[in-house]
Amino acid sequence: MNDWQRKSPVDWETYVNKMVKVAAIEKHEYEGWVLTVDPVSASIVLATFLENEKVSISVVLGHAVQKVEILKEGDDEMKQRLSYIFAPEESKAYSP
Amino acid sequence: GGDAVTTTAAAQGARAALRQRYLRGLAAARGRPTRFCLRAGVRVDAVFGAADVDAVAFQVDALQTPLGVQAAALLRCADVLAYSFLLD
Repeated sequence: MNDWQRKSPVDWETYVNKMVKVAAIEKHEYEGWVLTVDPVSASIVLATFLENEKVSISVVLGHAVQKVEILKEGDDEMKQRLSYIFAPEESKAYSP
Repeated sequence: GGDAVTTTAAAQGARAALRQRYLRGLAAARGRPTRFCLRAGVRVDAVFGAADVDAVAFQVDALQTPLGVQAAALLRCADVLAYSFLLD
């Protein structure tokens, strides 16, 4: 188990809604807004907003994570935007 | 003591919230073309199927390999570094 996998859910939660840079094994790097961290596998789920209004989701598996650096805090608008990404359809129907 | 109870409750709340969003993410991935980044710089494309509860393997469909397309396959999580897909 690496240091990232050993963190507690409360630690992982502090990364949610933040823009991060993930350094993974084999020199891979990923950047995006943290949607969640799976407490079972420590996999980190990142969202990137593309120009065509699509959202790219990248999941870096917990075993491959070496370092997670926070680049930016999300404001309230970003938090709301992120919360809609995986929201169930019925709650989307009432979104403004 | 009381602090320990509070800490446990906070940890369980955080764990539940994180896991719920992760499971919704898996549901969103289902059926989408997904690129898997494996060890040693190998990249493969497949249609995301499901992940098991213990994060041991991903079930995928239409896995594109140099030998052709596998209708159904399992990718071991230990071999996968990352995967990505698009939402519209």
